[in-house]
Amino acid sequence: MARRGQQAPTADAAHAPDRFAIDVTGLHEVFRVYTERPPGLKERLYRFRRARYHEFHALNGVDLQVRHGETVALIGPNGSGKSTLLKCIAGILPADAGEVAVHGRIATLLELGAGFHEELSGRENIYLNGAILGLSRAEIAAAFDDIVDFAGVREFIDAPVRNYSSGMYVRLGFAIAVHVDPDILLVDEVLSVGDQTFQEKSLAQMRSFSQKGKTVVLVSHDLGAVRSLCERTLVLHHGEIAFDGPTDDAIEAYQQLLATGELPAAGVVEEGRTGDLRARITGVRVEVAGTGGTGRGGQPSPVGPVAAGSTARVDVEVTPQADLIGQGGLSVGINVRRPDVQPSVYETRTSWRASYVAPPPQGTPLTVTFDLDLGLLTGAYLIDVMVANAETNVLHERWTSAVELAVEGPTHDAGIATLDARVRIDNPDGVWPPESHPPPLDEGGPRYHPVRDGSDEPEGARDAR
Amino acid sequence: MAALPARLGDWRQARELLRNLVAKELKVRYKHSALGFAWSLLTPLLMTAIFTVVFATFLRIPVDRFAAFFLAGYLIWQFFANSVNASVGAIVSNGSLIRKVYFPREVIPLSLVLSQAVHLLLALAVTAPLFYVLRGNFLPFVPALLVGLVLLVAFTAGMSMLFAAVNVSFRDLQELTQVMFMAWFYGTPIIYPRYLVDDAVADAEGWLMTVLPWIQRIVEANPMTWFVQLFQRPLYGVPAHPEVGAAPPTWPDATTFLVCAAWAVGTLTFGWWLFRRRAVTFAKEV
Ligand SMILES: Nc1ncnc2c1ncn2[C@@H]1O[C@H](COP(=O)(O)OP(=O)(O)OP(=O)(O)O)[C@@H](O)[C@H]1O
Ligand SMILES: [Mg+2]
Repeated sequence: MARRGQQAPTADAAHAPDRFAIDVTGLHEVFRVYTERPPGLKERLYRFRRARYHEFHALNGVDLQVRHGETVALIGPNGSGKSTLLKCIAGILPADAGEVAVHGRIATLLELGAGFHEELSGRENIYLNGAILGLSRAEIAAAFDDIVDFAGVREFIDAPVRNYSSGMYVRLGFAIAVHVDPDILLVDEVLSVGDQTFQEKSLAQMRSFSQKGKTVVLVSHDLGAVRSLCERTLVLHHGEIAFDGPTDDAIEAYQQLLATGELPAAGVVEEGRTGDLRARITGVRVEVAGTGGTGRGGQPSPVGPVAAGSTARVDVEVTPQADLIGQGGLSVGINVRRPDVQPSVYETRTSWRASYVAPPPQGTPLTVTFDLDLGLLTGAYLIDVMVANAETNVLHERWTSAVELAVEGPTHDAGIATLDARVRIDNPDGVWPPESHPPPLDEGGPRYHPVRDGSDEPEGARDAR
Repeated sequence: MAALPARLGDWRQARELLRNLVAKELKVRYKHSALGFAWSLLTPLLMTAIFTVVFATFLRIPVDRFAAFFLAGYLIWQFFANSVNASVGAIVSNGSLIRKVYFPREVIPLSLVLSQAVHLLLALAVTAPLFYVLRGNFLPFVPALLVGLVLLVAFTAGMSMLFAAVNVSFRDLQELTQVMFMAWFYGTPIIYPRYLVDDAVADAEGWLMTVLPWIQRIVEANPMTWFVQLFQRPLYGVPAHPEVGAAPPTWPDATTFLVCAAWAVGTLTFGWWLFRRRAVTFAKEV
């Protein structure tokens, strides 16, 4: 059985479709936490006993299956065991119970430049670090120029890395690590160390990794990066997988975990709907004035196409499934986003607007209506709807992509939102071709026109001809 | 399962890494000195000069050509002691690497031993004329030296892995090694020939009659006694009193060879086995 895949990957074995790239079952990782200093020889000799410690389960029965080519994020509070899990997958830590199986060659980016030697030159360190990461000499030689260019340290490649700036150090480390060309890449938090350019570069690199069909497991506290890279996210909490599902839902669950210390009671009920379901979204209706188009939540086809600039009315019907009276107000919100663009286009909640929505009795619906000006441009838009407790932020239900809206805007603009440009041109000295019929001066035309009045031209214009 | 020897691909990777680490050790060592390698020779030569003055001239250790006698043993000892002393704390001091990258952990002590072996080879090559001039032609016995080198490296590698592994659970071992190796040095016939111990036992009176035989047994049980002997024979000859005159370089005797081979195989097997067993949890402990 393949343990960690340091072996040269045999294509069919590593990519057999019935096997997971990473298959972790019932994994426990136990650390000894000493309640006193670990004993030296002296103490052991004259006290004849072991130091006091208790066992701490950093991982407490973790199951994780990752398919080949999948990009998965691991999020969770500090100390929840994310790094420990990565180290177990990488074979750095042994499994104390359970199984870890990995199919494919693995590379870990737990720390950039671990194993650099200060006295050696950049060139020598590339070979040393490459060997530490499991590359053969030939492989490093082949990637050498790419590594140097990617890191941008060609000028200093024969200087000892002791003389590198810390940025150069990090870039060189990253350049080597990404050129390991693994089947499976494990990344722990290293994306956050560099400057803006470096972060973008490393994000782009990770994206190209997953586009090349590689398996990526990313640990990060940068939820933006997680959103943009991963479709599937796991939330780790006290060494257990607390959530495993679509990234948006995972982040919602994670934020709730951070805010309240507990997870939503129920997981996903149906595709795109998560929450504890103590109040449910019982209806979403969209009606676009003017060009028309109506739709209901969950219908498969998009509403529209509707004209940009029209007004839409979104009715959200919420029904408490439990007795919520006295437990604080409700917050109902919508989020408009484009499937291809990361930050949402527009999001609002009643609670952000200081509108108190008092919960009705159990089973009695309430409706919140949002009137929206669709200042949008051509494209598909998705509307997410949610209801939560306004005080504790505990999510009752989020309905991701409840309605899709197709918008047709003017063809002379591009982007997401129309900022409604009014265009004026101030260009009195522009020179038009002789046969043309330029607009008058006050509409942006030229002061001079070559055919109509040859004597009155500016010097430059005549010479140019 | 993880404690089993690593797979084939692991070995290719480990060999590559080992080569790189040895190169690193050597480069770092010589990077900043204009004289480079000369420095690492200076120590044994200086020690030989000092020891010759103190032990041959002042204390009159009765051995023919003390300088050559001492140097043959001291080069071997230096290799052994430097390797083990470098390895004992190496797992702990490379903790950041061990916690963050997976690679076969034995490459750390092995790279230290092998880089020391390169020094030893160079030192032997450079001091060869000295032995030639002082003790005569040893060239026919170079094969014995090469076999001896393989056995010595195997023994030293086993010891280094043993010390490195044990030091992870008992950090004091690092401090202890210094003292231990000093005692070990004097317990090995390097500054004195072995026949002096036998002479002392024969001449012993009173309470020394009970103590000295024990010391004799310790010296005999000391593997380094045999390894030093393994190299002394082909480089120096059979030690003897100055009046008698030592025999010229010769083949090591079969007993010495077999004892060294047994120690080499035994130590390497046990050291490696223990190291592999313990290495699984190094990342947790360092
Ligand atoms: N070598 C060790 N010895 C003892 N306890 C350890 C060891 N390594 C980790 N732990 C403990 O295991 C738990 C999980 O640590 P881990 O580094 O996996 O957390 P994490 O999720 O990566 O946190 P962070 O977000 O801060 O990086 C922590 O409580 C930590 O104290
Ligand atoms: Mg961590």
